[in-house]
Amino acid sequence: MPVIVMASPKGGVGKSTCAVILATEFARMGAQVTVLDCDPNKSLTRWASHGLPKGVTLHQDIGRSEIVPTIRASDGDGQIVIVDLEGVASQLVSRAISQADLVLVPMQPTALDAEIGSEALALIREEEEALGRTIRHAVVLTKTSAAVKSRVQRDLEEQLRGAGIDLIEPSLVARAAFSEIFAYGGDLTAMMKDPDMVTGGKVDKALENAKDFTEAVYERLK
Amino acid sequence: MSGSNRLAGLKAKPKDTTAAEVRRVDEVGEARGFLDRTPRKKPGRKPSPRTYQLHPKVFPQVGEAIAAEAERLGITQGQLIENMWETYQRNS
Repeated sequence: MPVIVMASPKGGVGKSTCAVILATEFARMGAQVTVLDCDPNKSLTRWASHGLPKGVTLHQDIGRSEIVPTIRASDGDGQIVIVDLEGVASQLVSRAISQADLVLVPMQPTALDAEIGSEALALIREEEEALGRTIRHAVVLTKTSAAVKSRVQRDLEEQLRGAGIDLIEPSLVARAAFSEIFAYGGDLTAMMKDPDMVTGGKVDKALENAKDFTEAVYERLK
Repeated sequence: MSGSNRLAGLKAKPKDTTAAEVRRVDEVGEARGFLDRTPRKKPGRKPSPRTYQLHPKVFPQVGEAIAAEAERLGITQGQLIENMWETYQRNS
C-alpha cells in the first residue's frame, strides 16, 4: 500500500493537518493507516494522546537514521503509511521523499509559502533524476478562504499549473475544526457527533472538505 | 467514498533502498540545503553513576546510611563527613 509524505521546509503550512485528515478519512474507509510523526513539535503525537480513531496507529520520534527502515517496516499489505515531516530542510525530509508513492507539498496561498515550498518541489525533481524513477507529487493549498478566492491564490494556482505542477482540488479551507481536532483527538465524524466538542465552526463543512480532499488524493494513488 | 474494496487496489511502487541509493539521496538533498540536522549529543564524558562507596573498607550499609543522611540534610557526603570529623575531634 502506498506511502504518502507531507513535505515542505516551511513550518505552519498545514502538513500535520493534511496528515490527520488523510489518516482519519482513509481509516474511515477501512484502511489500516500507519502514521509516522517525524516532527519534533509532535503535533500528531499530541493529537493521538487524546485518542486515536480505529484503524490508525502512530509511531513517533523517528529520526534521519530510522526513517527509511521504519517506512519499509510499515509498508505492508493493507497499510497506508502517512509521514508527517518537520518544517525544515533536512536529510530526514530528503530520505522520506525517496520512499514516497505520493509527496504532498502543502502551502498557504502566500508568496513566501510558495517560494519556500518550491524548494521541496525542486528537491523532488532532483531526487527523481538521481534515482531514475518518478516520484508522484502534488501541491495542496491550505488555509484558503471559504468565501472568496483571493487574487494571490488565483495567481499562484495559475503559476503552479503553468509550471506543470499537479494542484490538488479542492484546497483545504481554513476551518476551526481542522485546528481543534488536535485538541480533541479522534476524527471529524466523532467531533460532529459529540456536542461537548465545541469548535465554533462548521464541522459538517470541514468534513465535506476533508472527504473531497481525500478523494482527490486517492485518485492520485490508483 | 467508502468501503475497503476501493483501497484494495492501491499498491506501493517497489523502491530500492540500498545504502548507495540513500547516499545518493543525501547528496542531492545536501546540494539543495537539506542537511543532517540531527541534534548533536552533549560532548564529553557522561557523569559516573554514584556508587555510595566512601572507602573500600566501609560496609555498604554504613555507606548507604551516610548517603541517605546527607541527602536528608541537603549536603554532600563530604560535608557530612567533615561535620562528623569535627564532632569526633571535639569529643576526643
